[in-house]
Amino acid sequence: MKFRAALLALAFPLLASAQVFQGVTLVQPTLVADTTAIVPGQPFRVGLRLKMAPTWHTYWQYAGDAGIPTRIDWKLPTGFGIGPIEWPLPEAILEPGDIEVYAYGDEVTLLQTIRPPANLSSAAVELKAQAAWLVCAEICIPGKADLSLTLPVAKSAQPANAEIFSRAARRLPSPDAPPFAVSWTRSGDTLTASFPVPAGTTGVDFFPLPTKEQEVGHPKIEKANGGYMVSIEAKGDLRGVLAIKDADGQHGWSLVAAPTATQSKIQNPKSKIETPTVSLWSALLAGLLGGLILNLMPCVLPVISLKIFGFVRQAGQSRRSIALHGLAFAAGIFAWFLALGLVIVGIKAAGGQATWAFQFQNPWFVVGTATLVFVFALNLFGVFELTLPGRATNALSEAGAADGYGGSFFQGVFATLLATPCTGPFLGGALGFAFLQSAPITLLMFASVALGMALPYLALSLQPGWVRFLPRPGAWMERLKQFMGFPLLATLLWLLFIVGGQRGPHAIIWLGAFLLALGLALWIYGLVAAPHVRPRPRVLGLLAALAIAGGAGWLFLGELFAQEKAPTSAGVTESGGIAWQPFSQAALDKLLAAGRPVFVDFTADWCLSCKVNERTAIDTPAVREKFAQLGIVPMKADWTNANPEITAALQRFGRVGVPFYVLYPAGHPDAPITLPELLTPSLVLKALSKAR
Amino acid sequence: MKIHALILALLAATALCARAAGPEVGQPAPDFTLKDGAGKSVSLADFKGKTVVLEWFNYGCPFVKKHYGSGSMQKLQQQATGDGVVWLSIASSAPGKQGYLAPGEAAAKQSELGMHSTALLLDPDGAVGRLYEARTTPDMFVINKDGVLVYKGAIDDQPTPDPASLAGAKNYVAAALANLKAGQPVETAQTKSYGCSVKY
Repeated sequence: MKFRAALLALAFPLLASAQVFQGVTLVQPTLVADTTAIVPGQPFRVGLRLKMAPTWHTYWQYAGDAGIPTRIDWKLPTGFGIGPIEWPLPEAILEPGDIEVYAYGDEVTLLQTIRPPANLSSAAVELKAQAAWLVCAEICIPGKADLSLTLPVAKSAQPANAEIFSRAARRLPSPDAPPFAVSWTRSGDTLTASFPVPAGTTGVDFFPLPTKEQEVGHPKIEKANGGYMVSIEAKGDLRGVLAIKDADGQHGWSLVAAPTATQSKIQNPKSKIETPTVSLWSALLAGLLGGLILNLMPCVLPVISLKIFGFVRQAGQSRRSIALHGLAFAAGIFAWFLALGLVIVGIKAAGGQATWAFQFQNPWFVVGTATLVFVFALNLFGVFELTLPGRATNALSEAGAADGYGGSFFQGVFATLLATPCTGPFLGGALGFAFLQSAPITLLMFASVALGMALPYLALSLQPGWVRFLPRPGAWMERLKQFMGFPLLATLLWLLFIVGGQRGPHAIIWLGAFLLALGLALWIYGLVAAPHVRPRPRVLGLLAALAIAGGAGWLFLGELFAQEKAPTSAGVTESGGIAWQPFSQAALDKLLAAGRPVFVDFTADWCLSCKVNERTAIDTPAVREKFAQLGIVPMKADWTNANPEITAALQRFGRVGVPFYVLYPAGHPDAPITLPELLTPSLVLKALSKAR
Repeated sequence: MKIHALILALLAATALCARAAGPEVGQPAPDFTLKDGAGKSVSLADFKGKTVVLEWFNYGCPFVKKHYGSGSMQKLQQQATGDGVVWLSIASSAPGKQGYLAPGEAAAKQSELGMHSTALLLDPDGAVGRLYEARTTPDMFVINKDGVLVYKGAIDDQPTPDPASLAGAKNYVAAALANLKAGQPVETAQTKSYGCSVKY
């Protein structure tokens, strides 16, 4: 029954809608789809196919001096969305009296993308459209047809009418810049561009797309200097399509004729997101500010408290000593950033892709950091004390200076290590700048970030007056030290979360088992390392501790952890009620071509700022409602594991780290809106309201 | 160097001349003389001191049919001529092409459609159409009492042959005539005309 109804609907338009004039079929309209069935939530293309009688033509989106563009009014069931008409390249027809029109002869398929809702209860859907056109030869005759196309609803579908759609798609102008440089100059009301053309080019066309108020002349095309020269009269910048003909047919590119070097920028999303034009000084300043703000990032907060505790401890010492501690700490920060900078310069030189926080994409790096954090926490809890065997007395005699400064230095390294995944505001842009620069500028950039991060500590240590406000040392210090172990354990939880995202829940258990054994080993070490323990039990204890730690490392990490694989579709659709689509450039391009608004969340499990944003500002009822109301497609670019496609997408925005958020408004894929790295619900809602 | 500049200047001058060929809003409308169906010569210069409307006409064009089939064009012509405006309908179709009128056919077409224009002028060689750069039917021009072109472009803001579009359409010619009658400057002085191409 349904099948027969579908068959009838398919056959019906062929019978009823042809435009016949004096016995001649002038225009034969049909609706076609590029799919055999509608899959709920999956956009597909439809086409209005017009077959014209010889010598008759229908019109392009800008008809020229006479004629009118074909119109399509869809009557779609509720929940269905429709994109703008995509117009294949027309031909320019010059009629007597210097009348130029842009039109289609023979046959044309006007393409549109339909977005079905995610839920469809009916077994088949009828898509209805009223098409209206003007067809002209010597005379003009308007035509109109009520068309319909019925498609079954299914879980999967096969491509259909592939030949018609690929032929039409080949004739669509590309949003990219032409593969040859076209730059426009203006003289009075005339825009002119000379450009070389690829070998084998047999002709050039320019089809203007003036605004409603804009008057344009006829484009003049001439051969010049081995290439071509296009000139056209127009006030203001002029949108249009440049096309070349060769043996394969015609190829076109949408562009804006504007007398600047960046003329194709407005139309072309790829070149719009070109190298950020930040000056070196503002980039360095942004790096400095970003570094400063790094101190406030969730991943660094525990370290800050740790450091403040350190200053409290040092408050009893001499001014000089405090200043030196501050400098050592700052040196640690600098050492880390410069080492990182050198690594990046090295990797860049080797041709690899280096991105901010990329080290957190390596699970072994995370394991190392987790171990370090855990050991640090046990140390704060007093499970063991770090002493320098043999030279301990020496160190004491130098008033603890040597190991103290060394400690400060490594604390600086450690603080920065934890800070890198959370790139603060400004830092993203500034580092994006650095990554695109030469080696010395990259290092300079990293140095400015380091300076920014070290600044508060330097100030505090060089200004002893401020240290004076810090509390006096006392018994509370020991309790504070122990307390500080807890934020470190919280940091450990976050690291375990990352490991889970990278290698699955079992990996967390194996890492936890290793840490447990390591804790036991350190406790034994703490027992036997005390000064009063005799050498024999000490050696035995140390050997036992070493055996436990080594054995656990071999078993839990080397054997078990190493076998865990990344979970499939890690963390893509898990968060709350938003139906995130996994990011892929192809899927994004397809959605944008269909005129849909898209919100892309560049995130990673190891980025606490990202998680905080998602929980507090993105995955909220109000935002969910806004997504649904405006039909915004939520897309998640999960960068937890290295993903060159996402890396490339970030780099197009001049970014090298997450969090990063971008909204493509409906029908304006060329004007993406980027959101700041720290989000509030109202900020997100305000940005989303610009989606349509 | 100097020769280069000279050539450039010359080129610019020719470009300007080419541009100036069509009538510009705010400039004097070029004079012309055409014959009506009865063979009587009519010149634009005859109507100095009066407001003149030029209407490019092709009875076969669906866009023209929209305005005549509904009677709205005739009504506007009647209103305008009643106010002392001179309305010249001009057929620039070449012989053998759609909209061509032989001298003997003009009067019949006028009465068939109930046209109220002052005259239906025949321009079979398209000379006046080209002079005014008329490209579509209907292409409209309004000339004020001083002989200055004050409006050129479409008849209304609905570029479609669908008669249903007339309801609520903004008629630019009616608006320009109302502005002139009230002694005001023409609010919308130029639009992009729409319709069939003139069948030169």
